[in-house]
Parts: sequence; C-alpha cells; structure tokens
Amino acid sequence: MTMTKNILAVAFLAVAFASCSNDDDSTPAEPLLTETVSNLYAPQTGGQGEPVGGEFTKFDFKTGAETTSDTDWDIAFRGTTIAVNGGVATGTTDEPTRNGDVSAAIVTGTFTSVTSAADLTFNQDSETSFAIPTGSDNGWYNYNSESFTVTAIPGKVFVFKTTEGNYVKVEFISYYEDAPAVPDPFTDTTPYYTFNYVYNPNVGETSFE
Amino acid sequence: MRYKFVPYLLIITYQLTLAQSQVENSKDSILSQQLDEVIVTATRTERQLSSLPLPVTLVGKKQIIKSGTVRLNEILNEQTGIITVADESGFQGVQIQGIASDYILILIDGVPLVGRSAGNFDLSRLTVGNIKQIEVIKGPASSLYGSEALGGVINIITEKPKTEDLSGYASYRIGSFTQQDINLDLKQAFKKFRYGFFANRFSSNGYDLNEDVEGQTVNPFTNYTLNGRLYYDFNDKLSLFTSARFYDQNQDAGFTLDSIQYEGDTKEREWNTHARLDHKWTPNLTMAYELYYTNYIATELLADPISTDVLSDSDFNQKLFRPEVRGSYTFASKKENNTGLQNGTLTAGMGIQLDELDRTYFDETVNFTSQYLYAQYDFNPIEKLNIIAGARFDNHSEYNNQFSPKLALRYQLNNNLSIKGSVGYGFKAPDFRQLYFDFTNSAVGYTVLGYNVALDKLQELVELEQILSVLVTEDELDKPLEAESSIGYNLGFNLKHGRGNTEVNFFRNDFKNLIDTRIIARKINGQNVFSYMNFDEIYTTGFEINSSYKLTEELNISAGYQLLYAFDKQKKQDVADNQVFVRDAESGQSVALAQSDYFGLVNRSRHNANFKVYYDIPSASTNVNMRVLYRSKYAQYDTNGNDLIDNYDTSFIDGFVTVNVAVSKTFYSDFTLQVGANNLLDYTDNNIPTMPGIQGYLKLNYQF
Repeated sequence: MTMTKNILAVAFLAVAFASCSNDDDSTPAEPLLTETVSNLYAPQTGGQGEPVGGEFTKFDFKTGAETTSDTDWDIAFRGTTIAVNGGVATGTTDEPTRNGDVSAAIVTGTFTSVTSAADLTFNQDSETSFAIPTGSDNGWYNYNSESFTVTAIPGKVFVFKTTEGNYVKVEFISYYEDAPAVPDPFTDTTPYYTFNYVYNPNVGETSFE
Repeated sequence: MRYKFVPYLLIITYQLTLAQSQVENSKDSILSQQLDEVIVTATRTERQLSSLPLPVTLVGKKQIIKSGTVRLNEILNEQTGIITVADESGFQGVQIQGIASDYILILIDGVPLVGRSAGNFDLSRLTVGNIKQIEVIKGPASSLYGSEALGGVINIITEKPKTEDLSGYASYRIGSFTQQDINLDLKQAFKKFRYGFFANRFSSNGYDLNEDVEGQTVNPFTNYTLNGRLYYDFNDKLSLFTSARFYDQNQDAGFTLDSIQYEGDTKEREWNTHARLDHKWTPNLTMAYELYYTNYIATELLADPISTDVLSDSDFNQKLFRPEVRGSYTFASKKENNTGLQNGTLTAGMGIQLDELDRTYFDETVNFTSQYLYAQYDFNPIEKLNIIAGARFDNHSEYNNQFSPKLALRYQLNNNLSIKGSVGYGFKAPDFRQLYFDFTNSAVGYTVLGYNVALDKLQELVELEQILSVLVTEDELDKPLEAESSIGYNLGFNLKHGRGNTEVNFFRNDFKNLIDTRIIARKINGQNVFSYMNFDEIYTTGFEINSSYKLTEELNISAGYQLLYAFDKQKKQDVADNQVFVRDAESGQSVALAQSDYFGLVNRSRHNANFKVYYDIPSASTNVNMRVLYRSKYAQYDTNGNDLIDNYDTSFIDGFVTVNVAVSKTFYSDFTLQVGANNLLDYTDNNIPTMPGIQGYLKLNYQF
C-alpha cells in the first residue's frame, strides 16, 4: 500500500510540475513516471507437457495500460513468457506480430541502482530466443520444483526501449494474484503479473534519475 | 591401462618378499590391543581405537541393544556429528561433518554396499540385529577406499562365533504403528568350523502426518534380512570367511493424483556374497584374498486400478563384482624397540571393480571398470609419535585417474593428553545417472541428459525439431566429466581426566568439481534441457566435542556437540559482491542480501548436540537410559528465487529436541524385557516425513 501512495505522490508532483512548466518555451524535460501494475492477467492454454497456446496479453508503457492494439504495444505476456514488440517471430503459436522496434536489456542490481539505460546491451526476440529468455533461472523467474512456486528473481531489472523510443525500467514482483509475499502454489492463482516501472517520457532520454 | 599395474605389483611383491626374508618372527601386540576396543576400518589392520591419529566413532553392540534401536539410521543419528537427513522419497541418508550421504561410503565387513537413490544411501535398509560394532571414520578415506569416501566411511562389522555351545538370541518387538521387529541369531564354533545365521523381519503399518493430504506419509512395508556366515580354519595360517546376505522389502505405493487413486508397490532386493581367505604367512606377514559380489534391485509399478493405465514403471538393477588382494607386513624386528622408520607396518592392496547398472531412463546397460592399488605405511618414528602415510591410485574407464594421498599424525603429549591431525584427499566418481541419464518429465516437459550421452541425445532432439536453441558448444561436452573431490583437514586432541574422556576435533573440507545440473538447450515447449557439469565449490567447517564420564561404575553420561558452517564459495563471494538479492516483504523491491543473512547449504544445522545417560542397576538386572538430541534450524530449499538459502527463505525447519528412552530388565538370566519410547516429546513436522510422533515399544528377548 505504501508503494501505491508513493506512486500517487510522484504522479501528483509530475502533473503539478508539468502544468507549471507549460508557460515556458524552453520545454524542459518531463519528469519520470513511477508506476505499479497489479494483477495483469496473462493466461495460456496447454502447458504441463501439452502444446502451449493462447493470445498474449499486450501492454503499452505510454498509456500504462493493457491494450488490444496490434501496433501500439511494447511487451506482451502469456504464462511465464514475455515477448517484446521488436525482432522476428520466435515460432511459438499465437504470438503477436512484431511491428515495432522494442528491445530489452537485463541488468543485475536493485531497482534504484539502475540509473540509466545508456551503455546497456539490448536484444530483440529472434527465431531462436526471446529477448527475455524463457525457462527457470534464464530470464525473469525461478521455478522451484520442491515448493512448486514461480518467483520473480530478486535483483533482476529489465530495461526496455519502447515502440515510441522511450526508455523504461521494470522490476517484476509477483506472478500470483494480489502478489502475496509467500505465495501458496495450491491456493494462489496465476498468471497475474505485478511489476513496478519507471518510465522516462522524454523520447530517447536514457536517464532514470 | 591395466599393464600399469604390473610394475607396482612387482615392487610390492618384491618388498614383501624381501621383508619377509629379512625379519625374524616377533610377537605382535594382540594382547594389549584386547585391552582396548579394536577397530579395523581406519587402517585395514587391527588398531586400538585410542591410538589412532584419525577422528573415529565406534558404536558397540551393547549401546545398540541398550538403546533399543532396530535400524542403522536410528543408532547413527544419536552419535555426535552424524545426522540423518531424509530426502523427498523418505530415504534417510547420513551427513558427516556437513557432507551429504552421496559422499559417504557404506561397508559391511569391509566391502561396499551399492543401491543409492539419486546419490542417497538409505540407512534404514540395514538392521542392527547382527552387528558387533559400527566403525565410522570421519573425513576423507579415499586413500584406502577410493570413490565415495570423501566425508567418511561407515563400516558395519558382524560378529564372529566364539563358543562351542550354540549361542545367539531370539527376539520379538512390537511398537506404535504396528511396527514389528523379529530376530533370530545363531552362532556356533567347532574346532575348525564356525557358522553364524541371522534372520530379521521388520514391518510397519506406516503412519500419516498430514490428514489433509490424501494417502499416508509412510505406506505399510515389510522387509526381511537373512545372513549366513561360514568360517573354516584350514590350519593355523589359513582361514576362510564366507558370508551371504539377502534383503527384500515390499512397500505399498498407493498414490493419489488428479483424483485417481493409483495402486502399486515398490520392491527392493539385495544380495551380497563375500568370500575371504586370510593367510598368515608369518607372524609379521598376513594377506587376504577377497571376492565380493553384490546385486541391488529396486522396482516400482504404479497403475490406475480401473483403467489399468500405468503411471510409473521404473526399475533399477545394479551389480558390483570386486576381487581384491591385500597384505600387511610388520617390519618390527625387536619387541622392545618398535620405533623408527624401519619398524612400521606396510599395508598394500590391489583390486578390480566391475560395476554395472541397468535402469529405466538408460538406453542400455552401462558398465564401469576400474583397477586400483593402494599402500599405507604406519610407523612410530619416536615413541610418542605415530604417523600413517598412504595413497591410492584408481584407474577408471569413465573418468580421469585419481591419486588419493593421506597423511595422519598423532602425538602423545603425556599420559592424559594426545593431539592428532590429518590431511587427506577424497573423491567420488561421476555416477551412472550423471553420465547416462535420459529422462523427460512427462508432466512438465523438461529433459535431463547424462553427460556422456548429452551430445547424441541433443542431436536426436534437434532432429525431432524439439529444440529452440543450443546453449553449449560441442567442445564443452567433449572433455570427460571430472570426479568430484575434496581435501579434508582434521585437527584435534584427546584428554583423559579422571573418570572422564574428552575429544575435540576441528575439521575443514574443501570440495571442488561438484557436479550439478546446468541448462544446455532450450526446448520449443519453453522448457529446458539439462545436463551435468563440474562447477560447484563448497566448504564445510566446524568442530566437534565429545565428553563422557563414568560417574560411578553404574552411571555413564556423555555429551556431544557439533558446530557447522557449510557454504558455497562462489555464492558467498556473490553475496559479498552485492550480487545476490532478496525482495523486501513490504515494498516488493529487491535489496542486496547482507552477508550475515546467507545461511549456507540446505539441510545443514549450525548446531547439533546430544546428551546421554546410561544407568545400570545390577541388583535389579536393569538398565535405564535416556538420549536427548538437539538439532538447530535448517532449510530445505530456496523459496525466494535467489538460488541460495538465506534468512528470508520460508522453508526452514525450526530447531527441535527429540528424547528417546529405554528400560531393560533381565530375568531368569536368559530373558530380557525392554520397554521404550522414541521421540518421547512427540515432536512432529509435516516436512520431516521420516519422523512420526511418539513411538512406544515392547521387546522380549531370549538369549542363549
């Protein structure tokens, strides 16, 4: 809850700052947007050894919301798989057509320690792999076969260059509905993404400070 | 490679022959050895327990009987620094100096037992009904025993018949969960011929710790152990020992999955046949010629009784054949003066080990062959100093040759105080599974491939268009998998004080090349292909203290404690470099893990302690005893996704105390009635499936 309040505060300041600066001609930089997305539902069909399928749930950082647009989306979710709107089809069924130039970089560190998108190595989806690799301990999550739990790997920060050319850093928090601190794989439901992000609304600006 | 042995053999034979011709007969010190407990595992010769330069635990028959234990895991778990750990299947392996069951060799009368489940040796397979003593050597012993002897060696010694009258016992015990233990032991010695026969039936109706989960925690089982031993003395110099052991267990394996009640059972069957000819050429030279064969079979069949769909059908069939020749020569020339480099005991041996495994998830039966040679020299350069130096060479068909040296010293400072230290190398060969596994999980879809078959199998998967991307190069899988190895250091002292005795031992074991799985390819279905590789480096360190007091002739008390630190070196470094994170429970954000929050390896408790009281009341022919065991908290697995155990993980089992008590009373001189309770405080945890609540029992024993 504290988190949500902070976000509101930042958002309020952002709006206030933006409105003050409107009179000015020199168009100073717009402030960063800090947001939390809760319970983004991204179901898949199949799994458990069966072929995986189903539409991806698409997300647009500019609007900060889920979208059904075929073009104005940045990243898309299905089960534990995350696709970006950049690169080429990976070959998985029902994947969205990539028509943007979104790319992703993975950084190890705390969320606040990632202060810039400059000098990072960005990748796109390709015929052989996703920009955020799939599978346990490869990309954003760890699957524990003893507790049957999917956990967002702590200390992994994902930086995206969006369709519009903005930079955003993302930290995934949970794969379970309402992000319980200790999920119970038998009662808590998936896949409900909760993640924090910081979006730089100034096109091409790499700073997150 | 076999030819390499010829020169070694020649040298040894030559030395032995040379020595034999040079040295006159001399009396050995058998008599003085009998004054103290004698153990054979540490040096492969008879040695007084108190004179050994190595950390050793000896558990005698009396302690086993008085404490009312029936299976090996129970009695070992009561010893300082020895902890039994159950895996997911409920198999109870043993942990010594923080080293897991995979790296501890189990022997019966000096020959190895096989049949491990994912590396874990289930000690509850072994009854204690016909044991004379259990010898446990802590720290690496590969210099004598080769593979698997990194953390230690447990040797179970059966009893040799001594009297011309038929002796033995028959017993029946019944306890909670309808646990029944029935024993018959017969022994007799004639002039030249001796025999021993032992039979055990052990059964239980099992128990259920969690009623919310369908099915029992432990299903009903019955097992039988039969052991026959024949001894024949051809003359004063040549004697034969033969032993055949048979073990058979049947356990229900009912299982509910997706509301289908699968039925079936798991079976285990084991044969051991062992023949040894002991040849005393001269009082100074003895040799042993040994043949050993063992076969361990485990099968599991689970099916839906209505549709007859088979859920699981697996089998495991391992065979081991091992001929060995060894000899021991004492160079002592004079009885009074047996010090100096020239007056020691040389022990040497060589053998061949043929290992075979046929199991589900293997394409075909696989065979390993190895030849080995070892030698050890045990001498006292000066009266107060004992040195044992030894080494073993193993040549193996599947992995690099291993050379395992060891050096141990003991110095007697005065009548009451001695210090001992040792350093040794231990190794474990990559096992069959790590080399030949070919397994695809049908529910989730991942694949695990043994190292030696990984390239071919991966190629097959590529041809079947199941592979998205391959993450390793051919070169990476070309080099043979290395044996896992460790260097162990032990330093301690032994202090006699009045009616008491205290032993302290500091230990450190540095492991490298530990084999773990890694991802070698990604599959179309989003899952991974795993194979094995050498990468982990861990260490375990700590100390152990054991104190016993004979307060009166009738009252014995002892206390033991082990402090243990067990860490992965790379992960420890990563934590120090702030590269490991945990999620803050409040904000959900990642924060770097503090070094003090890295807890260490799974299943390791920082503290273990025990306290035991044995009280004899001779006037009433009664013995009363109580054993209190404490184990501090330990973690089962990582729960917060950072791939190590930290203080924020939620899989910790809190520290707990178990109390075991037993009272025995002998009447009519031949009958003993024993009443006891294990886990008197009735401690249970759903996550410790091998520990039911309080278990009472009643035993009647007739000895003759």
